[in-house]
Amino acid sequence: MSTAPRAVAATPLPRPSSRANRFRRRQGWVVGVAVLLGVLVFWRYSQIPAFGPFEIRGIVAGTMTLALLAMAQSVIVISGGIDLSVGAMMVLANCIAARLMLDQDLGTVVLVAIGVVAVAMILSGLIGLVTVVSGVPDIVVTLAASFILAGLALVVLDGPGGGTNPRFQELIVGGFDQPLPSLLWLAGLLALVWLPFKRSRLGIATYAVGSDRAAAFLSGVRVGRTRVIAYVLGGFFSGMAGVVTTAFTGSGEPRASIGATATLTSVAAVVLGGVALMGGSGTLLGPVLAAFCLSLIPALMLGLGWDPNYAEVARGIIIIVVVMIGGLVQVPRRSR
Amino acid sequence: MPAPLLQTTAVAKAFGPVVALRGVDLSVAPGEVHALLGANGAGKSTLVKILTGVLGNDSGTVAVNGRPVDLDSPTEARSQGLAPVYQDPALIPDLTVEQNLRLTGVDPAAVRRELAGMDLDGLDLGEQVRDIPLPFLRMLDLARALAFDPQLLLLDEITAALPPDLSERVFAITTRWKQRNRSVLFISHRLAEVREHCDMCTVLRDGRDVASFHPGEGGESQIVAAMLGEASAAVRDVARERRAARERTEDERPRLVVRDLLIDRQDAGVSFEVQAGEVLGMAALEGQGQDRLFEILSGNVRAAGGEILVDGQPLKARHPYDAIRRGVVLVPSNRLMALLPQRPIRENIAIPLFNRISRWGPINIGRERRQVEEAVTRLSIDTRAAAQARRLSGGNQQKLTIGRWLAAGFRTLLLFDPTRGIDVGTKHQIYDLVRELADGGAAIVLFTSELREIALVCDRVAVLHNGAIVAEMPPTASETDLLTAAHGLEVTAV
Repeated sequence: MSTAPRAVAATPLPRPSSRANRFRRRQGWVVGVAVLLGVLVFWRYSQIPAFGPFEIRGIVAGTMTLALLAMAQSVIVISGGIDLSVGAMMVLANCIAARLMLDQDLGTVVLVAIGVVAVAMILSGLIGLVTVVSGVPDIVVTLAASFILAGLALVVLDGPGGGTNPRFQELIVGGFDQPLPSLLWLAGLLALVWLPFKRSRLGIATYAVGSDRAAAFLSGVRVGRTRVIAYVLGGFFSGMAGVVTTAFTGSGEPRASIGATATLTSVAAVVLGGVALMGGSGTLLGPVLAAFCLSLIPALMLGLGWDPNYAEVARGIIIIVVVMIGGLVQVPRRSR
Repeated sequence: MPAPLLQTTAVAKAFGPVVALRGVDLSVAPGEVHALLGANGAGKSTLVKILTGVLGNDSGTVAVNGRPVDLDSPTEARSQGLAPVYQDPALIPDLTVEQNLRLTGVDPAAVRRELAGMDLDGLDLGEQVRDIPLPFLRMLDLARALAFDPQLLLLDEITAALPPDLSERVFAITTRWKQRNRSVLFISHRLAEVREHCDMCTVLRDGRDVASFHPGEGGESQIVAAMLGEASAAVRDVARERRAARERTEDERPRLVVRDLLIDRQDAGVSFEVQAGEVLGMAALEGQGQDRLFEILSGNVRAAGGEILVDGQPLKARHPYDAIRRGVVLVPSNRLMALLPQRPIRENIAIPLFNRISRWGPINIGRERRQVEEAVTRLSIDTRAAAQARRLSGGNQQKLTIGRWLAAGFRTLLLFDPTRGIDVGTKHQIYDLVRELADGGAAIVLFTSELREIALVCDRVAVLHNGAIVAEMPPTASETDLLTAAHGLEVTAV
């Protein structure tokens, strides 16, 4: 045997990616969705002669629930899971809140709201725990959970009903021409709940678990605990969605189909918002912006005088086209 | 003799009915670079996982500095001073390097210091892990492990994915660790490295430690004998004998002709011919275009120019399907890429058959089974793990990737580094298989990163440099000549 061959040439260091490139890879999608939203808002603005605070309030308050559900779904998808029960969780929270808030003073109503969100967090955490401990795929557990939660909602409220305090409504979704409260709530949750979480070690662990579970374990991440926490945080957002629904509609509505539709739309917002369904990447801002895009589309179609049924078709086509374009722009793939 | 830094006593581990470790005693002294050797499936990786808290052991004890420890998590193992660099990078692809360091609780400054010590301070820690090439990920993994300042560094096949100059830097680290009276547990299939850099070695076979000795003393034959047991000695010379038997007949038409194939946008292309029954070796340094050449030949990527003739007819593949239909098939070095890891062996072998057996309509199960069984027997694949291909050991997986084409009757094989990360015994089985296929009339192009394989398996060798064939030599060419040519220099006497 001769001795091992020695290399003559040194292996060159990889060239670091440029700042612009990095921005495009990491923030490009969110910027894209923001631009799309800008276009849609401008379009809507040009459709309505008197576009003012009233219109804006209508859009923002009406989309808040979906935006919150998109946030709930995003956290769980980022951690590598999926939750088909976020919509049902919202319906249940809505029903509990509407039943307990009826004819109460503001203080009690706020306490009920906090309690309802806490219950949603516990229930969602339990769903996560069952998924992690049993090893049954999350899609199965959360689908089953969605039936359970929808059933519970009917137990709490056997038909549309309940109510809340009008001052609470103003506090959450604002008066008829006040878009600020709902905007502030959304921005506040993103800035005060999501951002600190994302920057914490726990947040990084959530991304790590979604990206590569085995490598995360080897890095010392407690994988099961992190996944359950992602469900708890998801429960926080879907509980909030239920409370907001109560404030927006001033009542409770236990119909199961509302939850099912909301769940599917939340998945659409997640995809459109640039969160990879494989987990491990994306952020919450994208899905929130995407939720606004999705709820503007039917209004725009209506403004064009289209049959509202076509609005759903348009929504579906837009999701596919946007995600396709996004994929082409973001990841230059090898030709196949 | 000083008290051992690490001592395992009768460590055993079973996965269901499969026993991975039957009782391993391993003793690593302070200031020692200790090699852990063994054939694929001998239990090396299982032992490393137990020592780093990834797996729990069923019985036996692990002691660090004489104290028994309970390594129940990777974090606990690190706090006991055992830091691993695993075979697969343990960095999260979607996070930046910095975020990865935070996740593990490592001080980025310490990692930067270690990187600077390895002359790699040019690496940008703000980069996403998925954008960094594999060899540098291994180096980052190493720097991260070093930042814990461990008593014992466990390196699981770290050099397998490294070019030689980076390997040298790893050995500079092991030497430094030794000088600091700390230890390294080093796993590698490259026996030359083990002989040169390790003070002691322990050989595992079938889940037991069978020998511990100074690797420099007995030489490779002692290591191989310990790894394989009695059956080993005979295997080694078979390939060499068979080598002599092959003679080129003059009037054969070449099976595969490649003319002026442009791998990248450059002036000189690649040209070569392969006859039926011939094994053409392909030698090159890292990154000379060999990956791309094989991808082009297999229809995965389109060439910038030039032509490929199969049996005299031009092949313009737009998709691997086109190449496969013409009987040109690739065995990539990443075995799991080629297999269906979750599916049974039978299906894995049968998949390529579908291209031939039936285009429309049902598949003839009886005929499928016959062909598959024939292939399994010829390959001597251990079928105990028949239910899922991913449970096979690395060597058996590789035999499967090669053998399934054989079962389907394909006649032009492209083998890309088929023995990477495979133990010596299985390597020789694969050499035998390659020769057998060639003798049966297959034309084979074999790229290998281990130059001595060329003498064992090939009939000719072509040297690739900077996207062009710079030399063709007989297989008996010395490693010096091959290396000289591989660097793009003139070889004086061939």
